[in-house]
Amino acid sequence: MDNNKFVEVKNLRKVYDNGHEAIKNVSFSVKKGDLVCLLGPSGCGKTTILNMLAGLLNPTEGDILFNGKSVIKVAPKDRHIGYVFQNYALYPHMTVLQNVMFPLIVGANKKSKAEAKEIATKYMELTQITELADQKPGNLSGGQQQRVAIARALVQEPQILLMDEPLSNLDARLRLKIREEIRSLVKTVGITTLFVTHDQEEALSIGDKIILFNDGIIQQDDLGQNFYLEPNNYFVANFVGNPVIDNFKVTKTANEIKSSQFTINLADMEQSRFKRELPDGEYVLSVRPENIVPDPDGLFETKVDDIELIGRERILKFTFDNQQVRSLINLEAPIKHGDVVKLKMRLNRVFLFTPEGERVY
Amino acid sequence: MKTNQKKAWLFLAPTIIFVTLFSIYPILRAFGMSFQGGSLIDLHWNGFSNYQYIFNDPEFWLAIKNTVLYAVISVPVGLAISIMLAWIIFDKVKHKSFFETTFFMPYVTSTIAIGIVFRYIFNGDYGMLNFLLRSLHLPAPDWIDDPAMSLTTIIIFGIWSSLAFNIVILMGALRNIDPNFYTIADMYGASGRDKFWRITMPELVPTIAFLLTMNVIGAFKIYTSVYALFNGQAGVGNSGTTAVFYIYNKFQIVGTPGVAMAATVILFLIILFATFLQRKMMKKVGEN
Repeated sequence: MDNNKFVEVKNLRKVYDNGHEAIKNVSFSVKKGDLVCLLGPSGCGKTTILNMLAGLLNPTEGDILFNGKSVIKVAPKDRHIGYVFQNYALYPHMTVLQNVMFPLIVGANKKSKAEAKEIATKYMELTQITELADQKPGNLSGGQQQRVAIARALVQEPQILLMDEPLSNLDARLRLKIREEIRSLVKTVGITTLFVTHDQEEALSIGDKIILFNDGIIQQDDLGQNFYLEPNNYFVANFVGNPVIDNFKVTKTANEIKSSQFTINLADMEQSRFKRELPDGEYVLSVRPENIVPDPDGLFETKVDDIELIGRERILKFTFDNQQVRSLINLEAPIKHGDVVKLKMRLNRVFLFTPEGERVY
Repeated sequence: MKTNQKKAWLFLAPTIIFVTLFSIYPILRAFGMSFQGGSLIDLHWNGFSNYQYIFNDPEFWLAIKNTVLYAVISVPVGLAISIMLAWIIFDKVKHKSFFETTFFMPYVTSTIAIGIVFRYIFNGDYGMLNFLLRSLHLPAPDWIDDPAMSLTTIIIFGIWSSLAFNIVILMGALRNIDPNFYTIADMYGASGRDKFWRITMPELVPTIAFLLTMNVIGAFKIYTSVYALFNGQAGVGNSGTTAVFYIYNKFQIVGTPGVAMAATVILFLIILFATFLQRKMMKKVGEN
């Protein structure tokens, strides 16, 4: 048994009945005990993948292996998975205890009431909902319902926990709290977890690794920080990061990169970061806002259109080629609205993409 | 606040006037008339003698017995069949809307028309029902003309005609159940039985309570279907008489409105009690 490939997805493809190809060709693996986030904009196919893992959908092509064994032909109930729905789907007519006990008292392997209650109580303690045992879900807050849903997903002691946007129904503050709770809970139980979200911050904060999807394919399958520091392509660079990355249209010539307002000498770039020999032509230069900063020796001059305060830092906004561009600066920097500043880029931190989105620097 | 209240009364006025005129006043009037004797144009107080009369009238007791039996049998059986059919259509049938429309059709058809068709179906000699029963070598009773069969025939007809409304309402309720409830249950390996008894039925309780109330009230007021089945009579020799039939008969045919109103008051009290009782019952069920 290979613990690094506890869950393995091979060349998965899904075409819906209406001809929509939701998943094109997806392969990835998940290490035992890891918490992996499936991240992507809505409609990117991440929930489709989760439903195929759960057995709620059949893949058109490809294979899914749990613990080295293909589960394509295994019914959902025999896959040893727990599933938490976005809206929790708690049974409104049952109390919290009855909801948590439900998986244990139905089906072929049902347990005695006393035994079921014992197991349910154990998981209710773990999720800190013991005192809510006799309440109906309708009386609970979003965060409490969330915990009940997780406790119910865990009582059958599944090997894999699947969560579909479990935090999207909670308010911002609670979301921060619950996501930490979820992480510490799944780590305590040691269960392998796949967590679907569209919120990059959520993914970055709780995932052991992140798989970013778009257009039915994997854009990047990596550790969280690498999405930021080493994005695979133009989509990843633009999807991850807040404030979003700044993009400049540039033209490369024999020894320069030129935009409408600045010129960078190729010799100033870090040569080892070039992925390949670049033909002359059109490219996109992308810079994270914190790597484009006011400096007396800056590359180009611009007028500050607007300043937005985001806590400890400020975002300078200016216009470049009719597009808004942002620079992230320290709160104390003495720059006002309407000032003209010179901006410099940290050239060892910029990215260069082909118009097709391939990263070349 | 004061001006608000004045305006509220103004907006409520049309409803209040109509309800008072056509609901509250007739109830009070009926209650008053139940203590009066004589014909409609010559009413006079006669105390409790109307009540004495009906309590000593075997026909009244037969009417009440028939009505109560009808309600007690046709409502639960009809509701059980409705739940079964609605569940089958919802769970197993592909073209749901077609069947839903089909099942709803009797509801929009006049009871009189359906009753006339059922007279033919129930006919002892050449009816379709007996044709089927005979071909299966089962006893083929005379549904219409045998006094002993009157109530049975009325009950069968009542069950059949209650299906339409019940099924449509139940289908609506089934549709409102979150499909994820079943998805999750499937994932935990719940059987069809588990799902029906642990998810579907509890989720249907409020709807069933509503239908039970409606059906019981409707059952106690049964009149039209008897009229249609037995060609304007209450079965052979009044064997299938019901409370409303008794009231109508005493009011219009015999011309003793006081007696009719006394019977009305008794029927009103029975319905009130039955409704109250089942509300209590459903509340208990809902809690468990």
